[in-house]
Amino acid sequence: MSTDDWDMQISETQLARLTRDMDEAHQETLPAMRASALDLAEEIRARRTDEPRDAGRRRFLLGAGGAAVALTLAACSSSSKSTSGSSPSAGGSPASAGASGQYTGDLKVVALATALENQAVGAYQAALQAAQAGKLGTVPPAVANFVTTAMAQHADHAKAWNAVLTGAGKPAITDVPLSNQADTTAALGKAASVGDVAKLALQLEDQAAQTYLFAAYNVTSPAGIATAATIAPVEAMHAAILNYVLGQYPVPDDFLPVDKAASPTLLTV
Amino acid sequence: MMATEHIDSRLLEELTEQSQDLNSDALRITRGALIDFGQAAEPVGRRWWQRGGALAGVAGMAALLGGSRAFAASASASADDIMALQTAASIENLAISVYQTAATLPFIKDGNKTVAAFIAKTTTQHQAHAQAFNSAATQAGGQAQNSPDPKYKAVVDQALPTIKTPADVVKLAITLEDVAAQTYTKNVSQVSNADLRKLFASVAPVEAQHRATLLAVQALLAGNAADLITIPVDPAKLPAAAGSVGFPDAFYKTDMASPISEGAVK
Repeated sequence: MSTDDWDMQISETQLARLTRDMDEAHQETLPAMRASALDLAEEIRARRTDEPRDAGRRRFLLGAGGAAVALTLAACSSSSKSTSGSSPSAGGSPASAGASGQYTGDLKVVALATALENQAVGAYQAALQAAQAGKLGTVPPAVANFVTTAMAQHADHAKAWNAVLTGAGKPAITDVPLSNQADTTAALGKAASVGDVAKLALQLEDQAAQTYLFAAYNVTSPAGIATAATIAPVEAMHAAILNYVLGQYPVPDDFLPVDKAASPTLLTV
Repeated sequence: MMATEHIDSRLLEELTEQSQDLNSDALRITRGALIDFGQAAEPVGRRWWQRGGALAGVAGMAALLGGSRAFAASASASADDIMALQTAASIENLAISVYQTAATLPFIKDGNKTVAAFIAKTTTQHQAHAQAFNSAATQAGGQAQNSPDPKYKAVVDQALPTIKTPADVVKLAITLEDVAAQTYTKNVSQVSNADLRKLFASVAPVEAQHRATLLAVQALLAGNAADLITIPVDPAKLPAAAGSVGFPDAFYKTDMASPISEGAVK
């Protein structure tokens, strides 16, 4: 079948409808997710009764939720520029959170989650830039659509986790303070094809999904458990589609494992 | 109408074998890890990343499947936990039944080989889930649930006579996978101990992956592109929508989650 033949087989109307349905469904989930994130922040704050509450900031975060994707992308972009140019920050040096070891307990897991989400956003952003620069060859429309949609969802996840951090009085994490970031950046720089990028993306998605699984049965906060539980399946779905694109079986495990889960020791803040 | 066969059957078999090998590895690792799993009943500490490395490789329910001793040590499951496990088993039982029925339909059996292979593999995965949920239920002092979820069985009974095409099968399967994923996602927050959270949290993403795959298949069928339902596929031929239709939500919903009592043994 030629590409021209394919173009005749699905209408623009149908594509538009599918995309619109997906976007509407995506938007419907955001209010509940923001509420869950705020519950988690409230729990963490309640444990630290010696600290003053910051209701004003919490209300701001609630109101800012509608612009989650744009704001987080802007934050990642800005942060990247401040550390290592337009690609994700190499070396994982902290740009937004200065003191060492300031995230403890469940908040360390939240910080790890935020960093992983930023890492994914940065990786997809770098992939798009590489594609635009012609470094990856011809990028299939399905792959481009995957990248932009998955990137937006990771940005939403990062936004939710950052709301928890700031709600607990901690600095938001807008860059990638992970010790494996230099390797990730290097791998992205070497990517010469869509397949190379897809393989790297699959590693990141597997890592994220499995980290959330591990977090779901190890963190102590009920809202933290619920948040991790609602994100893990989405990262796993990303992985399923990537597996399919890579010519691999999309559901390789009967039970999601945790052998690729990230350790909080990766955090450099 | 299903398209002509484009699947590389040999490759699919190899991939299936590799998948089975990975699962076998997970079970083997689990059994080894269980030697050190005596602390399973201990309260979950905050510094979870400092635990033994062996446990880091343990799949959620695989630990329960392979280690009755370990689960018994932490079997502080409540009556609600047992009901949740039985309801989960009932959802799995129904999914198994639907996939097994679908596999016998002429347009599945003699149709797209990748769809047929997916149905076969997915059936075995649901069987593993059902076994895991029932194992946990019985080890916690409850009964195994061997019947289907009554609410969705009624839905299936109503839908089955109307199924005429692969798209009809896919649509019904998407509903069941979504209900399963939503239910287990919610269950993670409802059960009373870490072992059960691990179980539900390790199964929900797998059901979500089933759904993601089926959503992509559904989009290809709707676009009269069944010939692209192959492994491997040429990504260049996929419509743009196929890249994103498989994951419609940034956060997995739970508004359709079944209540824990829905499929409990009466």
